[in-house]
Parts: sequence; structure tokens; C-alpha cells
Amino acid sequence: MSGRFAAALAAAVLFAAGPAQAQDAATRPTPSPAERTEAFAKLPYWPGYWVSEQYANTTIGGFAAARPPGSPPLQRLNGFNAPYNDEGKARQAEAARTRGGRRADGWGYPMMMDAATPFQVMITPEETLIVNAYGETRHIYTDGRPFPAAEDMWPTVWGTSIGHWEGDTLVVETVQVQMPYTYFHGGPTFSEEARYTERFHMDNDRLVMEFTVVDPVTLTAPWSATITHIREEAFDRMVQMDFSNDRTGSENGINTIEPPADERGE
Amino acid sequence: MRFQFAGVVAVALALTTGPAQAHHSFAMFDMTKEVTVTGTVRQFQWTNPHAYIQLIAKDASGRDVEWSMEMGAPMYLYARGWRPSSIKAGMRITVTLNPLRNGRPGGVVRDVSGPDGKPIGTNR
Repeated sequence: MSGRFAAALAAAVLFAAGPAQAQDAATRPTPSPAERTEAFAKLPYWPGYWVSEQYANTTIGGFAAARPPGSPPLQRLNGFNAPYNDEGKARQAEAARTRGGRRADGWGYPMMMDAATPFQVMITPEETLIVNAYGETRHIYTDGRPFPAAEDMWPTVWGTSIGHWEGDTLVVETVQVQMPYTYFHGGPTFSEEARYTERFHMDNDRLVMEFTVVDPVTLTAPWSATITHIREEAFDRMVQMDFSNDRTGSENGINTIEPPADERGE
Repeated sequence: MRFQFAGVVAVALALTTGPAQAHHSFAMFDMTKEVTVTGTVRQFQWTNPHAYIQLIAKDASGRDVEWSMEMGAPMYLYARGWRPSSIKAGMRITVTLNPLRNGRPGGVVRDVSGPDGKPIGTNR
């Protein structure tokens, strides 16, 4: 238990905006159905299939309609304009050198929050799930638990997330994210020591995500971006499919569409 | 037979420019040109991250050429009225696309018409 206590203390210190009295989920009493119904009723409801405004009205060709002239530029999560230190610059240079023709495995975090792929936000008292059409899922625990002990976490594509509510704003802290560029070639090159903070709230019919990342390995200062999401009304249900046919390739150092699998001998 | 369709602009550059790329850049396609191709479907790949139409069409000399025609992800196709059964192998269709810049037989799809000449889906 000392490890858990230490982790709870560390989490409370690390994320000062988080719950002050994080409680071990294993020791917390299960709420009665009435208590849970009451807890549910206090939560926001963000139904729909959300897409980054960058990808609004995507066509059958996979590109979004042109935005009206004069529209303000939309921010991205690819981190191209983050304040990199020498290590960060070296990683960016290496990514630029190796990105061409690379295949991806999916979107991963944080790019799934700024992707040409819709996601749902399912809010419960215990956790909020964010699920996209590639089956990528984020579990954001909001039951007051601290981050797991250090030895109980390891870097993953989607990281480990803890959240809490500040009124109708969902505040999410995420750690232990594998370098996003590894999973998706358009992702940032932050290190596994990066700590991500997101603040989600509704602004009329938009879901706004204020994003900040701190990374002592690659950044000289925190880097922030604001991503707005809109509802894509044409979806009537979430249909999840795996990421099985990325035909991106490279020929003589330039981007390539590879032939179909049956002609590649696969 | 192995053949590759090469784009001409580095992805690293393109990822910083296009306002609406899908999981990769569109820089390998000439978005200022549209080409219309009529042919016979060999395959319709209803897959992530892109769907593809493999279309056999005659070139200027009358030889059969296979085109790789890239589309968006199936979730978006579904939302625009497409289904995996919308086109089938052997079907005669007409596709308007933005071609690969290098002139190889491939591109990114704009519109597709079925054997009856009517558009498939809405594209909106």
C-alpha cells in the first residue's frame, strides 16, 4: 500500500487541478443504484459523432470541404510548431526524414482527437470513454482514483488517463504515452515523459478541447492548442473497422500508393 | 505484377500545408486536374484507412490498365450513402478523380457513377 500512497501523493502534487482527496478505487464503496442515478443526472451529456472541425464535411474522397474564405486557421495536434529543445528538434528532423511513405497503425493519442475519424464521448460517473471508428478507446477514470503507482504503468499508444469534473468541464490528465509519431506518422515526437492536459467543454454546439503538453525531454516550454469538434450528423451509428489496408508506400523517397495486397503477393 | 504509383511532393512538406488531408497528405495528387475514367471494377476494397476501387480501363492504345482509385474511410462512405455492395467486381462504372501527379493510373476519387449513369451516394 505504501506504493499506492506514494503514487496518490505524487499525483496530487503533480496535478494540482485534480481531486485533492483521491481515493483508492478498490476501497471505495459501490454506490447504490439510487446514488448512481443521482450522480449520472449531474453529468453533462455530449451525444453524437464528433469530428475535428478540420475534417468537417469529409467527402467520399476523404477530404474536407473548403472552409469559407477568411475563416480563422484551425489549430492542429501534430506539434509541428511546438517549442522544441535540441532533443525535440532532432526528433522532428528524424521524423521529417523518415515520414515519407511510412504506413500508420491507426491514429493513437493525441492524434485521434484531431483526426479524420469520428469519435463518441460516453460519460458515466466512474469514467468517460472516448471511442473512435478504428476501435481506439480512451478510458478516462473520474471516480476519484489517483494514477496507478509508477511500476503499475507503462507507455502505451493511448496512455493512462485520470479525469475530474470542474462544473461542466472535463479535465483530463494523461501520462505514459508512447511517442505518438511511432504509431502515426503525422503525430508529434513527444517523449514518454510528456504529460498532457485536456479541458473539454461545450460551446454552443461545439465540443472544445483545450490541450496542453509538458515534456521535459523534448520541449522548452508547455505547448498548447485548442481543437474544436463538431457533430457529423450523417452518422447513425458507430461502425468500427480495423486499420488493415494502409497502402502508403515510398518509391525513390517520394510518397507512393502501393498496389493492392493481392498484387503485392501478401 | 508489381507497380507503384509515386507522388512527387514529400509528405513532410505536405503535412504542413493541406487544410484537409485524411490520414496522409493529398500532395501526391494533382488537385487542379480532374480525369474521368470508365471501366470495369476488379475489386472494391472497403477498408480503413482508405477504401479503394481497382478499375480496369483501356488506355489510349487500347490496352487494359488497372487504376488504383483512393477514397475516404468506410465510415465516411457509409455516411454519404455508400455501402460495401455499392459497386461489385465486373460492374461498369465511371469515376472522376484527381490524378496522381506523375501520370500513373491512379488518383483520389471525386465522384462515381454507376451503370445507370447516376451518381453513387451524395458526396455531402
